[in-house]
Amino acid sequence: RVSSDGKPPKFQPPPKPVIIDRKTQKEESRFLSPEFIPPRGRTDPLKYYIERKDMIQRRKVFNIPEFYVGSVLAVTTANPYASDKSNRFVGICIQRGGKGLGATFVLRNVIEDQGVEICYELYSPRIQAIEVLKLEKRLDENLLYLRDALPEYSTFDVNMKPVPRMDHEEIPVNKVQVRMKPKPWSKRWERPKYNIKGIKFELPEHKMQAAQKWSQPWLEFDMLREYDTSKIEEKIWKELSEELGK
Amino acid sequence: MMPIWTKSGEKHAVTLLKVQDCTVLRYVSKEESGGKTAKLLVGGKNVSPFSKPESAHEIFKEAGVPRKQKVTTFNVTDDAIIKPGTPLYAAHFRPGQFVDVTAKTIGKGFQGVVKRWGFKGQPASHGQTKTHRRPGAISTNKASKVYRGKKMPGKMGNIYRTSFGLKVWRINTKHDIIYVNGSVPGHTNCLVKVRDSKLPTYKDCNKNPPFPTFFADGDEELPEDLFDEEIFQFTDPSVTFA
Repeated sequence: RVSSDGKPPKFQPPPKPVIIDRKTQKEESRFLSPEFIPPRGRTDPLKYYIERKDMIQRRKVFNIPEFYVGSVLAVTTANPYASDKSNRFVGICIQRGGKGLGATFVLRNVIEDQGVEICYELYSPRIQAIEVLKLEKRLDENLLYLRDALPEYSTFDVNMKPVPRMDHEEIPVNKVQVRMKPKPWSKRWERPKYNIKGIKFELPEHKMQAAQKWSQPWLEFDMLREYDTSKIEEKIWKELSEELGK
Repeated sequence: MMPIWTKSGEKHAVTLLKVQDCTVLRYVSKEESGGKTAKLLVGGKNVSPFSKPESAHEIFKEAGVPRKQKVTTFNVTDDAIIKPGTPLYAAHFRPGQFVDVTAKTIGKGFQGVVKRWGFKGQPASHGQTKTHRRPGAISTNKASKVYRGKKMPGKMGNIYRTSFGLKVWRINTKHDIIYVNGSVPGHTNCLVKVRDSKLPTYKDCNKNPPFPTFFADGDEELPEDLFDEEIFQFTDPSVTFA
């Protein structure tokens, strides 16, 4: 190179390497709790707006963590008749129901060979703490079939330690196929109306094919049943993030 | 309908009623109406004026308000008379008060005797020929006639019914909403008449009601939400039993 003053060219350090961390650059996963999405109906949207204000107010004071059906939770409630005045129950969430302030979730556990299910209300003031011990999803939206599965799939240690989890990891999907007790079951889980993917059916082939008689393949093409919630979810997510961010 | 929790952790179901453009339309004196007290005609929700003839708009033109969907009468003592044209708000009621709510029940159409009156019908088997939900016998031999008012199949629902003694838990003054305990007759978004309770147990339960009504242009400045003393407010931490 031609030097400017006759001196050797000034040492230019190499450009600093730009580290593109692809993991953190992934789109932030947004979780909108299902009880915020209003059901389809003829109610005035003002009612849902007012209910949402109350729900946000409760969430500001009390932390309701993100959890799915299939995660293991520990819930402490206030109990006037217990010696400690509080009650702690650990279990797997089998079902999340209800919309608005009356939203509920059912926790199941097997304690001393007795299956126990408790239905808690998310916004009840008697709940003192909700801890997520293990955050994971399962293949189905509700795990009511655990009632007819072998008890080992519903037993969880009451003194379980919370499983540590990184913030940026995707929520793991537990693809376990559950083994069932012999028939009769409380519901005929092999029928296509329940659409269960998490059971290892050990029934003979002809029984599985006979169950397909009750399939309704036209349902997925029924346009009147479609309920597109994407725009509603966007609005509610914006409202929520503004209010809770304050 | 919504759940509401008290400070001791009990849950109650609550119906939300919205006060939408209510105005006093006319004052009818005791002599004019022929009753024991004076009456005030009050109109409800605003509605388009084009579906009714001009003669029906007279009351609304006198009061200076758009046409209302429903006009009801309230029996009123002489010291509670309000000038026609004043709007009425949800703040007229206070939490802790008891109210009666009247509305038209959901119409069920022509219904049989089992659904309409709760008759037991007949057994499903053991030889019954074409008789499972019929009324059976309608009178005795000696009467040799059917009494007036005999319960028979007919149109069910779509009549005015009242739920008495409902507690008011909360009032939202910004959106004019009254939270009333329990359920209320009528379908969602139907028109409903709310009065102070006439039950003798709740005769003296109103401590300091806004009398004759709550005036928006007055000096009183109410907070956005008025709660009953026993309600658990979501700004407080969770309930603990000491």
